[in-house]
Amino acid sequence: MAVIEVENLKLYFMTRRGPAKAVDNIGFSIEKKETLGLIGESGCGKTTTAMALMKFVKPPGQIIGGSIRFMGSDIVPMTDEQIRQLRGKEISIVRQEAQNALNPVLTIGRQITEMILEHESVTRETALARAKKQLNLVGISDQRINSYPHEFSGGMKQRAMAAIATACNPKFLILDEPTTGLDVVVQRQILMMLRDLKDELDLTAVFISHDLSVVAETCDRVAVMYAGKIMEESDAVSLYKAPLHPYSKALIRAYPSLKGERRQLKSIPGAPPSLIDPPPGCRFAPRCELAQDICSQEEPAVNTIDGRRVACHMVK
Amino acid sequence: MNQDAVLKIENLKKYFPLRKGLFASLLKGEQSYLRAVDNISFSLGKKEILGFVGESGCGKSTLSRTILKLVEPTGGKIHFKGTRVDAMNRKQFKPFRRKMQMIFQDPFGSLNPRRTVSEILRQTIKIHNLAEDRDAEDVLIRKTLEEVGLNPVEEYWNKYPKLLSGGQLQRVSIGRVLVLQPEFIIADESVSMLDVSVRIGILDLLFKMRDKYGISFIYITHDLVTARYICDRIAIMYLGQILEIGPTETIINNPCHPYTRALISAVPVPDPTVEMHELPIRGYIPVTPDDTIDSCNFAPRCLERNKLCRSAKPEMVQVGDGHFAACCLVDGNAYQGDS
Repeated sequence: MAVIEVENLKLYFMTRRGPAKAVDNIGFSIEKKETLGLIGESGCGKTTTAMALMKFVKPPGQIIGGSIRFMGSDIVPMTDEQIRQLRGKEISIVRQEAQNALNPVLTIGRQITEMILEHESVTRETALARAKKQLNLVGISDQRINSYPHEFSGGMKQRAMAAIATACNPKFLILDEPTTGLDVVVQRQILMMLRDLKDELDLTAVFISHDLSVVAETCDRVAVMYAGKIMEESDAVSLYKAPLHPYSKALIRAYPSLKGERRQLKSIPGAPPSLIDPPPGCRFAPRCELAQDICSQEEPAVNTIDGRRVACHMVK
Repeated sequence: MNQDAVLKIENLKKYFPLRKGLFASLLKGEQSYLRAVDNISFSLGKKEILGFVGESGCGKSTLSRTILKLVEPTGGKIHFKGTRVDAMNRKQFKPFRRKMQMIFQDPFGSLNPRRTVSEILRQTIKIHNLAEDRDAEDVLIRKTLEEVGLNPVEEYWNKYPKLLSGGQLQRVSIGRVLVLQPEFIIADESVSMLDVSVRIGILDLLFKMRDKYGISFIYITHDLVTARYICDRIAIMYLGQILEIGPTETIINNPCHPYTRALISAVPVPDPTVEMHELPIRGYIPVTPDDTIDSCNFAPRCLERNKLCRSAKPEMVQVGDGHFAACCLVDGNAYQGDS
């Protein structure tokens, strides 16, 4: 059974100028122990999707339709009380900018034990022992349990975040740009720590990033998002080797690499459309090199080709 | 080195005094320093793009601020087109400000949110007296906006920064610099906040400025990948010093300093078939570096270190054509040169 199954999810932000369709009719599912990458430009709806998976949706945001099934049960109709039981315990998140996500006036140990005590009826001593184990697991000495966040470097804060997020052995972990803003050396250390953590705890995960190469190193499957829609979803190897959707192609072509020849790169002309008044038909059509008349008239259906899903009129 | 260098830096130093406790300062007179820029020398040719790459805290931003005299250097010389500028006072330096400019990292923070795009440029034009009257200002603004790719101009003229995307804002920042007709620009992490799809557009704009106006660049970044795309030469920085400098492709394909090798292998590759592996480096960049004055700065993190590294400061030696490195393990005598 899939751990997470999203179907026809629509999340709109109700603005004065009309609803902004930040996530518009998307669907994907993630099997046990699998990592799905969500990539796209800023404003394409990646983080909004992640927030929806934890049901962190506040007005003016609103889930308009669709379902998010976690282990078979739909979390969309759940009450706040029910969803609170899941958050942190079953579904957890590591956010970008750990410095803002950690509480500056509580020690790291306190922040980990708080998570455990909230969800499980154990004694403070047990919780503290587990907190120490968590710290070791993410590569921080348990001697640092009484340290405050400001005593940690950026990479260590991100490790501490991971320790908190996995303190209750969640089944599903959302990684929202966990390495953005970190140096490459620290980034690699964090990515390897997350990989080991996933193996250790049998985690299923969704990994959100704008960095194609980070996603390539960490994910089994990748969904490419653009303007609130999923353009292509495929296993990682085929996507990077032979992208199907013109947007995936353009993204990969715009991405420089250190390996191989220094090649000519091409940026994608234009800018993503307004989500309040998106273009009719395919949302990428105004920037697409292959666009025909039909692309700006009819929204492309999602086709399945060799187990890969792609939404484009020109790819059959 | 290059005879007609636009910029020549010799032994540039910027030390920040470290605060210490009351008793320590009473008992010992010795003041300790954070050596943010420590004895850096290089020269920048006309139309050259030189990249400074390093982790955060390596001093690359302090270096750019010191070169532009936004902070006063502790020691060393800065020559701009043959004129020594480091000892000048503010008034003497003012005419040089126009010629030496900077593009910042955060376009959202570096543009005044209460001025429209045209007002932002007009302000710069007024400060430097670049136009005679308002009509001439308008002409200059229009020409600049077209130059940086904000077409049609009317669409952007009266817009406030909050209505523009990051890429468009960065184009306004570049326009604000370009209008001064500078000869040398420091681009400090100028694309790191932008999306991949617009990054290349901005980098190509820098290329265009170099080719059309003969501007030289120092490109400061933590990202080797964009540095490879845009730079002619790359300098690898660590704790205030240059560890290795050379032509871009030589540094990427044939690095000789252990730190450069570690940095390169840390860069993720957009290829899912490549497995992640352990990096040839230990620990973190120290928050407050030790006084490593008599040893190699990088030695505490180096996997290849030996006794020599702890006892002597490595000299910068030539290892190839235009390729220099500062490492005790690199043999300077191996390179005989072309002659």
